[in-house]
Amino acid sequence: MVQIVISSGGAGGLAQWVLLELQGEVEPRQSGGLAGSLLGDLHYTREGVPVLIVGHHILYGRVVQLEKPFAVLVKRGGGEAEPAEPHAHYAVTALIKTKLLFKTRPKPIITNVPKKV
Amino acid sequence: SLVIRGEKDEQAVLCSKDKTYDMKIADTSNMLLFIPGCKTPEQLNADQASCNIIHSQIAGFSNNYWELRRCRPKLKKLRKLLMEDPYEGPDSQNDQTLTFSKYTTEDLLSLIQASEEEIMHQLQVIDACKIGGYWRILEFDYEMKLLNHVTQLIDSESWSLSKVPLRTCLEELGSLEPTEMIEHILLGYGRKYTDDGEVYFEMHEDKICRAIAQMLLQNAVKFNLSEFQEVWQQSVPEGMTTRLDQLKGLALVDRTSRPETICLLKVEDLPEDNQERFNSLFSIREKWTEEDITPYIQDLCAEKQTVGVLLTKYARSSMQNGVKVYNSRRPIS
Repeated sequence: MVQIVISSGGAGGLAQWVLLELQGEVEPRQSGGLAGSLLGDLHYTREGVPVLIVGHHILYGRVVQLEKPFAVLVKRGGGEAEPAEPHAHYAVTALIKTKLLFKTRPKPIITNVPKKV
Repeated sequence: SLVIRGEKDEQAVLCSKDKTYDMKIADTSNMLLFIPGCKTPEQLNADQASCNIIHSQIAGFSNNYWELRRCRPKLKKLRKLLMEDPYEGPDSQNDQTLTFSKYTTEDLLSLIQASEEEIMHQLQVIDACKIGGYWRILEFDYEMKLLNHVTQLIDSESWSLSKVPLRTCLEELGSLEPTEMIEHILLGYGRKYTDDGEVYFEMHEDKICRAIAQMLLQNAVKFNLSEFQEVWQQSVPEGMTTRLDQLKGLALVDRTSRPETICLLKVEDLPEDNQERFNSLFSIREKWTEEDITPYIQDLCAEKQTVGVLLTKYARSSMQNGVKVYNSRRPIS
């Protein structure tokens, strides 16, 4: 039988991350994957409303406290790449208690509106 | 810390020190991006003068996540493992060298899908004991032999059933059986207490009557109910009264047959999975009253779940002779 241990880090608290939830999919402008590319800009209004600008779209969202927080796990060991740790186990890297939820339709940002002649 | 436990052919569970959870993958059509160190509005300074750009990296993204749902620990396997080699007493030849079907606490932790506390609690419930570092269940005949020594001694000494002295038991019976076994049987069938520095046991009338009933019932498929009740009452120690409700989850009475009969049906022999348990019960008897079926489904109830909820989900009710009965929702082959 397998027993896989999930342990939390040593001394000190765990890092707190934030989740960004988007409806739909994010695609790279050019082919080649998402890694290393810029997603966009995140702003907050004075009222605390999160605003996300992706490409030429703008999305408004809201901050949600998660009823069931998440733990981020990283797998260690068990693979051929790590012969020092033969048994797989997971380490809790961070906790996520808040998410920024964007579920309204993105609006295109139009900067140049031609005037009617 | 937490542990994920399971064999390759089992569904994974997550165990804390004292709870067990089913692990499920939850899918979402939304995209979840996780950002280390991202700040929420409360954390940012509302100072207008400074205009910072914080460069944050998205650590990763996902469409699914693991969800935990509290579940009943999967303990049926525990009894199954310990029954591979029940302890038959010190005189038995079997016990000498075989160790591959004997289990230590560590062994059990790596084989049972349950938390440590749930496993330790169940070991107590099934009256397991540690012999030579291994957890063992007593073979039923040996257990009855030990119980019989104790009840005969109680009778010959004319002790009250609620004040059985440990010391005298060990002195009188120590030549017949290992003292650990005598103490084990007393602990299993009585409540230990101290009075004036001496250890006594208050014997469990119900548990003793129940064990004797099992001993009688396992010798035949079915018994004539009234004959059984007569023999049973005669077989229990003096001063004890037998009652049919002592046999809940152990025996099933059939009041529709002429003459009325009783047979052995142990809840621990039935499947652990809810649907399989109900299928099994409905193939034994087509229609059940709530009173009859409750002892055989009580252990399926999750925290704060009632038998009624289970019956609504897995059975269909109807009236028969003015009594509400339950039958299967689907045909049983």
